[in-house]
Amino acid sequence: MAMSEIVVFTARKIRTMNESLPEATAVAVRDGKIIEVGTLETIKPWLESHPHRIDTRFKNHIIMPGFIDPHLHPSLGATLLPCHFITAMEWKLPDRVCPPVTSHEAYLERLTEIERGIEDKNEPLITWGYHKIWHGRVHRTELNRVSSTRPIIVWQRSFHEIIANDAAIDWMSLDRTELERHPQIELETGRFYETGLGVATRAMNPFLLSPARFGAGLELVKKAIHQGGHTTIGELAFPLLDDALEWDVLTKSIERDNVPFRMRLVPRAVLRGTWNGATDEAVERVNSYQARGLHRLSFGNGVKLFADGGFFAELMQMLPPGFIDGHHGEWMTAPETFEALARAFWNDGKQVHVHCTGDMGLELALDVLEKLQFERPRFNHRFTIEHFGVSTPEQARRIADLGAIVSANVYYVHELGEAYWRSSIGHERASQMARLGTLNRLGVTTALHSDFTMAPAEPLNSAWVAVNRIAESGAVLGPQERISLDAAMRAITIDAAYVLGMEHEVGSIRAGKCADFTVLEADPWETPVENLKDIPIWGTVFEGRPYPLKSV
Amino acid sequence: MHIPVTLLTGYLGAGKTTIINALLSQNPERRFAVLVNDFGAINVDASLIKHKDGTTISLTNGCVCCSINDDIGTALDAQRAQSIPPEQVLLEASGVADPRRIATLAGHWPGFKLDAVIAAVDCETIQTRARDKFVGALVKSQIKAADFLVLTKTDLVNAEDLGKTEQWLDTMSVHKPILKAPYALLDTNMIMGPTVADRSLQNGSIVASHPAFSTSTFVPKTALHTGQLAAVLQALPPSVHRVKGIFIDAETGLPTLMQCVGRRFDFSPAPATAPIGLVMISANSAPDIEQVRGAFEQCQRADRDCESAIPRTGS
Repeated sequence: MAMSEIVVFTARKIRTMNESLPEATAVAVRDGKIIEVGTLETIKPWLESHPHRIDTRFKNHIIMPGFIDPHLHPSLGATLLPCHFITAMEWKLPDRVCPPVTSHEAYLERLTEIERGIEDKNEPLITWGYHKIWHGRVHRTELNRVSSTRPIIVWQRSFHEIIANDAAIDWMSLDRTELERHPQIELETGRFYETGLGVATRAMNPFLLSPARFGAGLELVKKAIHQGGHTTIGELAFPLLDDALEWDVLTKSIERDNVPFRMRLVPRAVLRGTWNGATDEAVERVNSYQARGLHRLSFGNGVKLFADGGFFAELMQMLPPGFIDGHHGEWMTAPETFEALARAFWNDGKQVHVHCTGDMGLELALDVLEKLQFERPRFNHRFTIEHFGVSTPEQARRIADLGAIVSANVYYVHELGEAYWRSSIGHERASQMARLGTLNRLGVTTALHSDFTMAPAEPLNSAWVAVNRIAESGAVLGPQERISLDAAMRAITIDAAYVLGMEHEVGSIRAGKCADFTVLEADPWETPVENLKDIPIWGTVFEGRPYPLKSV
Repeated sequence: MHIPVTLLTGYLGAGKTTIINALLSQNPERRFAVLVNDFGAINVDASLIKHKDGTTISLTNGCVCCSINDDIGTALDAQRAQSIPPEQVLLEASGVADPRRIATLAGHWPGFKLDAVIAAVDCETIQTRARDKFVGALVKSQIKAADFLVLTKTDLVNAEDLGKTEQWLDTMSVHKPILKAPYALLDTNMIMGPTVADRSLQNGSIVASHPAFSTSTFVPKTALHTGQLAAVLQALPPSVHRVKGIFIDAETGLPTLMQCVGRRFDFSPAPATAPIGLVMISANSAPDIEQVRGAFEQCQRADRDCESAIPRTGS
């Protein structure tokens, strides 16, 4: 078979993330794979023997390995991105940039502007990003003034409450007498929260999850993933609800020739709400996914387990002294069930990923890992702590001792650090969330993820938080836990690949790997670290094919 | 009308499924739906099953058992959408759920109201569990949230250990009624509350379907003083677990529904056509029942008869 032509991309600098050859200026690519990286001089033997062309379009750019987010959820993003964003922070979305809105008046002004801009008079207006710290109390009568006929639903930034106008309450077809007796619904203000929110979302779901809206949302998610500079992502809990339906949607939308990224799917150990207690059946189900691998969609050796509850929902399980208000977190899996499942998958040789948010959740994961290591020791097991919200320094050491690794959502520090200091767990523990500096000093392999939509799907933004630990107000939280730029860039490339079990294929630029690159307009090592997140991205190269962000 | 929801909570292995299996196998006086997390563990005699598929078992006695499948709201909506909705729902909480949250969710879901929160407690393991660093707070919160406790696996411990467990629970649960369920065979009325409609009420006691429990009725001769009634309910002896029924409020002259579960009670308006009478469900303790009956008699107002302020149809 005739070999394809070799394409050589030259660049101002190539940051390979391979410590044996960290910098280069030319990379030769054929059939989607890297042939050699070095200089035009060093790669000459290939060029003398094979047809080739030199592509100099990146001569002023920096080439890095394609960024990897090892933990995000496209289906959640697909629900959120079609909403109108009115946010206190700037959000760069594929189809719009949402400027910061930071006062009550500005909030209502922007909402009115959005309302006036929607042509269809009956289309419900669902806006996300509201937060009372910035936007004050928004209530039903104010929303009625924006429109008395169009349903308007204000979705709070951390998803825990909505505020509805009268048209929206009517649109939801809910019996007002039923709403009046609900302790967590305030008809006067239009607020639905906690269990009351469940009543509202049940009514909103047919709209939010309608195939047309969801499909459009998924297209936006694909763009957001490209815009963040990703070429590989991990979907870390497949399926969300419905295996057949979601697989069908994914194959149709991701397994396409023009999609510039691949997706490693990590199945849930058990499907939601259906487990009958048979661990062998769970292992068999997870193993059965292996046969489904496609080009862009693949199942590896991983499996996802859940320890404690959500971090944004303050349902993480905390060791004493717990939360300031005395509430308790939740277990997503009963500890005994967690142990039984972890043992079954451990003994089957799987890589176990555990959702852990609080230090008690982490304690459970480490206690179980310690038992499993005693019963059946394994090397290179890559037991992965996912999220890594609150931990103790001693737990970080146990992670190292037991050979576990970490995939952290460091964005918690930026968005929640100060809020949790003031109203949840106090300054000491809040400022030490995502204890990455300690992990780094202990030599624990650590990746960064967004858990999108929990954080923006922007690896450079995650790296910026990890390096600077700049909180919402601009203050630095937990300076001892900052990590070096080198460590942060590894955490979005080669170490993220390691977490997904794909380090032999992606994550650095070396001969034999996939020709996946993220092309930057500036060199992160020559940029002040506090500006890391603002480095413009030209686009990506996926399997040798350039995908610019701006259509040229 | 709201469909009452009885919430059954308890940690893994506390005996929730055993209780549910026993309830489904009895011949209840009402059609109820049981919503469960672990559908595979439901075990009902094949002769009682009318129809079964992956998520629903329909029984010949009119009851159904359905899988919650991770979404309580959807499961409740499905029950309300039945052509003949169930008269009551027994909802099994997941072993790791905070029962207060589920009670708020299900008890205020459109079309439903909370009947009672019942916690299954495994008397063999509860004290160890309550000390466990991972689930101690959770199992204690389940006990605290309950209106009454069902002590399971009592046949597996000796009398002395059982006594110690009861003592410990008593300090833990602030004197909540405790039912013992040897072999977990409990009376439907105890778990789900008595049915009051259409029962021809007369004073007296009948032995319930399980000999450990009895149902006693008190039919007042006059209207009752609500404030005094509340005082009686506050001081109920622990052997009386539920009181439910309709009386005429002496102040307003209106028929009033009284519901009491454990130490929690409320009064609400009742339909004018409902028969008057209070039903007590209790562990068989004749002196306690007579004491409560005597206390109810003291709430009678000689100057107000049972005639409601609302004219009754046909009279």
